[in-house]
This record gives sequence, C-alpha cells and structure tokens, in this order.
Amino acid sequence: MSTPIDLAALIATSPFGRFLRIETKIDEHGLVTILPVHDHLVGNVMLPALHGGSVAAFLEIACLLQLAHETGTIAPARAIDISVEYLRPARRETTFARARVRRLGRRIATVHAEAWQREESTPVCFLRSQLRLPEAIAGS
Amino acid sequence: MSDPRNPEDETGSDGVGDWPGDAIAAGMVHYTPYARALGMTYVSSSPGRGTILLPWRADLVGIDGTDILAPGTLTALIDHACGLAIMAGLGLEASPATLDLRIDHMRPAAPRASVTCAAHVYKATRTIAFLRAEAWDVSADDLVATAQAAFSLNRRSAK
Repeated sequence: MSTPIDLAALIATSPFGRFLRIETKIDEHGLVTILPVHDHLVGNVMLPALHGGSVAAFLEIACLLQLAHETGTIAPARAIDISVEYLRPARRETTFARARVRRLGRRIATVHAEAWQREESTPVCFLRSQLRLPEAIAGS
Repeated sequence: MSDPRNPEDETGSDGVGDWPGDAIAAGMVHYTPYARALGMTYVSSSPGRGTILLPWRADLVGIDGTDILAPGTLTALIDHACGLAIMAGLGLEASPATLDLRIDHMRPAAPRASVTCAAHVYKATRTIAFLRAEAWDVSADDLVATAQAAFSLNRRSAK
C-alpha cells in the first residue's frame, strides 16, 4: 500500500465530484464513499427515489477513488466500460458505497462497487467497471 | 447505426397507452429533478425511441482543466433516454425502472462538447423492455458511447 492520498483534495479537482458533493470516510473495512442526499439527485418524484444515473455516477466515482486510495496516485483512470445492476429503488436518502479493486493489471483494472443506504447488507446498486490505468500506474 | 425498421412493430402496438405527444415527452425531461439539474434537453421521441441532449457545462466536467463532461453524466443521459424511449412506445403508465445498464465508452467526448443520446426499444415483453442506445458529441457516425439496457415495466393497464 502506498502513502495515503488526500481524497478530499482529489474530489475537489473534479467539478462533477463537487456537483454531487461526494465525501469519503475510512472505517474498519476501508474506504467508504458518501453521496449526501439532495433534491436534485431525485429521478422519481412520486416514490421518491434517486435517479439511477446519479447512483451509477456515484459508484463510478467510488471505483476511481478506491483505485486512487490503493495505488496512491491521483492521476485519473478512465472508464472503458461499466455495467450497472439496480437491485432496489434508492430512496431519497444519503447513500454509501464501498469499492473493491478485483484486479490491478499493468494497463487495466477491474473494480466493483456496491451502494447501500440504511444497511450495507441490503445494497441498492452494484457497478462493475473496467478502467484504463493512467501512465503513472501503468509505468510503475 | 440506427435501425431502419419501424419501431412500432417491435414494441408491439398493443394499445398499452398512447404516446401523449411532445409536450409531455419534453416534460419527462424537464420535470425530473436530476435530469433538470444536469440540464438535459428533450430533442425528439417517437414510438420506442427517444433522444435527449446534454449540453456541455463547466460544473459537469470530470477533471479540472480537461473541459470534458464526466462519464457519469453520460450514464444519466443514457438511462434517461432509455426511459423516454420506453414511455414513447408504451405510454407513461409503463413506469419503467432500470434493471441493468451496460455502457461502452469508446472515446472521451471532445472538450466543451455537448452529448446527444438516442435510445430505442428493440424488444418489449409485457414486463421487460430491452434497449440499445448510442451517444455522440459531434456526429452520430462517430460515437462516444454505446449502451445496452433492460428495464422492468409496470404495465398496470395491461391485462
């Protein structure tokens, strides 16, 4: 594990990360990414539920932050493809995510992330991403 | 590229809801809080098809200094265009919910470029709609992303 990097500073370099007001915390199992609830994240006013696009984007960012956290580099990885499964409606509540780097190759990383709201054991959304690594990691 | 076949044949014009027209279609984009927050703009719809534009905006850029829309903004655009395509084919009561969505990012969008997404329902059963979507910045012949999705339908008015 490399020297921990300042994830809040990293999020601050992303206008979209600031738009979503992404936060992070570290618990006993590692990094948790947080999507604070806001009215503009809602996709279904009737339920109400968060927009699938806001939860998916949040999980994409959780994957990137986990990768940065584990590799100790702030150079951005780029999504090659993502696959999202919506497991339950995401209520209009603060959402949490934990990501796992399943494979860190020379050029490509596979990262999975899961989002939950009240209970981590009942996830609302799962995302799998293939990421092209920045030169800074690929070259090391 | 786009399917020349009549989408009405594919989605089955089984009388489950009539397409209420452009005004309500535009409203589906305009009155969804997240779509509105991102600035999505309704472009067009027809049975089983929907097209939405995401205008470039500085606060939606992924990384400072690149001027490129964050990939996450395209996820919402694609998801919403799929929802529009379903409602355009089956009516508002279809009440679609995304089951899964897969996106291939072929290349980053150009700096300061807006992105358009066109989605179409290529098969709909009573409970599931299958969609493909394509997104481009400058030309529909040079895609930034393609997507495939499955949505569950709640066709309450269906027998």
